[in-house]
Amino acid sequence: MLNTLAIIILSLMGASLIYVLYRTIDGRPVERRIVFAYIGLAVMLPLMMKVTPPLPITTDVQKLYEHIVKLPPGSKVLCAFDFDPPSAPELQPMAVAFVKYAFKHDLKLIIMGLWPQGPQQANMALQEAFRDSLVAVKPHEEGIDWVNLGFQSGNEFVILSMGDGFKRMFPRDTRLIPYDSIPILKNVVNFSNIDFIMNFGAGYPGTREWVQIGVDRYKSDLGAGTTAVQATEVYPYLSSGQLVGLLGGMSGAAEFEKVLAEKGKASTFILAQMFGHATVMAFVIIGNVAFFVLGRKKKNPEGNN
Amino acid sequence: MELLGIWIGAILTLGIFSFLYKDNPVYKVTEAIFIGVSAGYYAIVYFFDSIYKKFWLGAVVAAEKDLMLYGGAVLGLLFLSRLYSKTSWIARWPLAFIVGATAGLYMMTYFVTNGMNQVASTISDVAQKSDLAGSSWAEVLGTYVILVGVVTGLIYFFFSKEHKGAFGAAAKVGIWFLMVTFGASFGYTVMSRMSLLIGRMDFLLGDWLRIIN
Amino acid sequence: MFSVLKMKKYLGVFYLIALVVIYSTIAAQVPVDATAVVHPPAPVTGLTASDTDSDHGHSITVNWKPSTDDGGGANSVIGYRIMRSNSPEGPFDTVGIVPLGSKTFENSSSIEAGTTGFIPDDTNFYFRVDALTADPAVFSSSEGTGPVHSYGQWFNKGLYPVLWAVIIFTVLTVMFVSAAKKGKELYVRPLAGIEAVDDAIGRATEMGRPILYVFGLGTASDIATIASFTILSRVAKRVAEYQTSLIVPCYDPIVMAVAQDVVKTAYMDAGRPNDYKEDAVHFITNAQFAYVGAVNGIMLRELPATNIYMGKFFAESLMLAETGVVSGSIQIAGTDEIAQIPFFVVACDYTLIGEELFAASAYLGREPLLLGSLKAQDYAKAAVLVLALFGILAVNFAGDLGMAWLANFKELFKVID
Repeated sequence: MLNTLAIIILSLMGASLIYVLYRTIDGRPVERRIVFAYIGLAVMLPLMMKVTPPLPITTDVQKLYEHIVKLPPGSKVLCAFDFDPPSAPELQPMAVAFVKYAFKHDLKLIIMGLWPQGPQQANMALQEAFRDSLVAVKPHEEGIDWVNLGFQSGNEFVILSMGDGFKRMFPRDTRLIPYDSIPILKNVVNFSNIDFIMNFGAGYPGTREWVQIGVDRYKSDLGAGTTAVQATEVYPYLSSGQLVGLLGGMSGAAEFEKVLAEKGKASTFILAQMFGHATVMAFVIIGNVAFFVLGRKKKNPEGNN
Repeated sequence: MELLGIWIGAILTLGIFSFLYKDNPVYKVTEAIFIGVSAGYYAIVYFFDSIYKKFWLGAVVAAEKDLMLYGGAVLGLLFLSRLYSKTSWIARWPLAFIVGATAGLYMMTYFVTNGMNQVASTISDVAQKSDLAGSSWAEVLGTYVILVGVVTGLIYFFFSKEHKGAFGAAAKVGIWFLMVTFGASFGYTVMSRMSLLIGRMDFLLGDWLRIIN
Repeated sequence: MFSVLKMKKYLGVFYLIALVVIYSTIAAQVPVDATAVVHPPAPVTGLTASDTDSDHGHSITVNWKPSTDDGGGANSVIGYRIMRSNSPEGPFDTVGIVPLGSKTFENSSSIEAGTTGFIPDDTNFYFRVDALTADPAVFSSSEGTGPVHSYGQWFNKGLYPVLWAVIIFTVLTVMFVSAAKKGKELYVRPLAGIEAVDDAIGRATEMGRPILYVFGLGTASDIATIASFTILSRVAKRVAEYQTSLIVPCYDPIVMAVAQDVVKTAYMDAGRPNDYKEDAVHFITNAQFAYVGAVNGIMLRELPATNIYMGKFFAESLMLAETGVVSGSIQIAGTDEIAQIPFFVVACDYTLIGEELFAASAYLGREPLLLGSLKAQDYAKAAVLVLALFGILAVNFAGDLGMAWLANFKELFKVID
């Protein structure tokens, strides 16, 4: 029933935009709060619809997927969680999808963060992964299958120092167990002992710093998931081969979930995002049409051509 | 306890959203709570992770003490000299260290990653994709468009010559490329903001009101 | 002659003999278990070990010619095992395993003694490479090589392009800074946003409303923030001269410390040290959205006439600019964050795009150091442009001109780290 109601209201909203266009051209633009209400409904109502729209997989996501599937079981993956709750709607779904994939394919995760709340977001991703029935089939022990080294301040200097040795920057994990006592970190000295780095970045420090130091200096393979805002800045690294693949924003997260065949939040959010974008585009078009029409009216006030 | 947290989160979210109507006391209170909690939270995180976990456990308690941490601690303490005006000049030394070290690192990293590797990549792309037999026409066109964008963009940011004549025309093409880039970036950023709103709506409708999920 | 009865009696025997013959024939066709016997492959040849060049030590590179049974011959090699010992007689320990086709292996360790696999410098080692097969017990060892020891180099030869670029840029900077100090006029083209700053400050004075200056979320070591300090100095001096009030809410405590110094110095230079208020520059919070919430609150309560956003901004940029529009302020922005420039372009009256922010600090400050480095940057940009275009032509037409070496021009830019 919610589904039907949502579709009816969205259809009415779509039709009412014609009235908004008429009013705007008439020189009586709608109040900004009405625009906020449109956006709010355009985002809220699709969340009630149980519809997953078709989603083509872009080459950026495909490249990352092709690299990840080549990692043999037992590979050590360094996961850098460089984001906080404000960026979680975009980055958390891709992080959860990756963690689930890692556990199902026996990849060993070494988690750390350059943002204070990053390791906590990692814990939330781990908890969600453990609720997956296919992951829960086999127990995943902390210290053996994964470890959370926590947050370290220092931004790019942390990455630089990790190139010499992880232990110096992370002498203990979040349980305060010393580095040398953690089984998964045996024989893990620096980046040369890591098979892949997966970075979830929301800004500074983030993907750019990992490329500058982790890739260019220490020759690691790096995949990145970034917010949509960061994606435009990071694309040059993708085309030059410094990144093996890129997940950009929520659409990247939804594509990643699809290609990994993981059910996640991004796939349910993407419809809301589409409607939200469509509403923004509609208002941009209305504003521009009104601008040109009103501009012409001002030039010819008496309607003379 | 979790339910209480959800209710508090929902009320604070709606309090911030009330700003969309107009500035009001509820928004002001919510803003003040956010500022206070975030300041307190980061104070604790930085104290626990940097001072306790890194310095105290690594340089004081540990059997193999990392003596380099004492250097960092001294520099950090020198910053506190700002509290007393007569000694505030001392704080410039640790600041100079931070600025200098970062400048030295950036000189290398930005030069290599953002400069040389990108130029090499641009040269490579044009060379490899010029051959129509090996690439689609769209790829070849795209490569040359990027090249024109790089050249005219660099011309736009040339400050030693006024933008007149042919130089000015090239700079104008450059600014058009920049505006197209900004438009694409704007679109991506709208997507990002929309994602944040969706996240909050999911919390309100799913975790709080339980209408969805 | 056998009677039919006797033939029936012997039929069973005939069948048995026939079955034995048939099964024997079939058994002869079935190949013998392929893994039953694996012959040792040909060993690798040409084994050499040397210190890894252009590093900080603790690394030895081993090279060899692959076994003839790798991808050819008996095709039995599946990989190579690199063995190391402190003496030529052994015992040898495994330090690495690489797949078939490999010709090199870098045996490296952390620089910290006591870590697993630590390789001390200036210590003799001996190496051997075993060609492995599918049967772990069957392999061939090469002749040993050694002694070899690792040591650090002072210089990374792969970074020569960076060295030349830095030297050239430094020479240019010194040249132009010297010229500027001698009083030579260094032309910088006018920027609309810069010229608007003075007008905006005048507007604020006339309206009797304060000026809000926002650094954004950068730290004191960010280039955009450093450029912003220079602009703040100029703004603060004008504010002191016109006796307008200035509000500078800060995100970073160190930025706040520097900004306080900058503003205080500006007031002293303007001859109004007593007008400087400590509260003008204050710290808000280190959390992004809490900071923007507070600054929005300041905008709506204090109603500044002019908002100046100069520095490093992230997601909060549009929130700040939109609120400034609501409060009716004139807004001038400058940032090097590409993602935020569109928002400033849309919502602000003037925007300094990317490098224009750094040019603005040089233009306003008129300090020889800033002007000289700006000119040097311009020449460096021109050099990069010319070299890139030349590189494209060289790589494309090198074959036609018969200059094969020119085709490798792009390697000039390739940095080996």
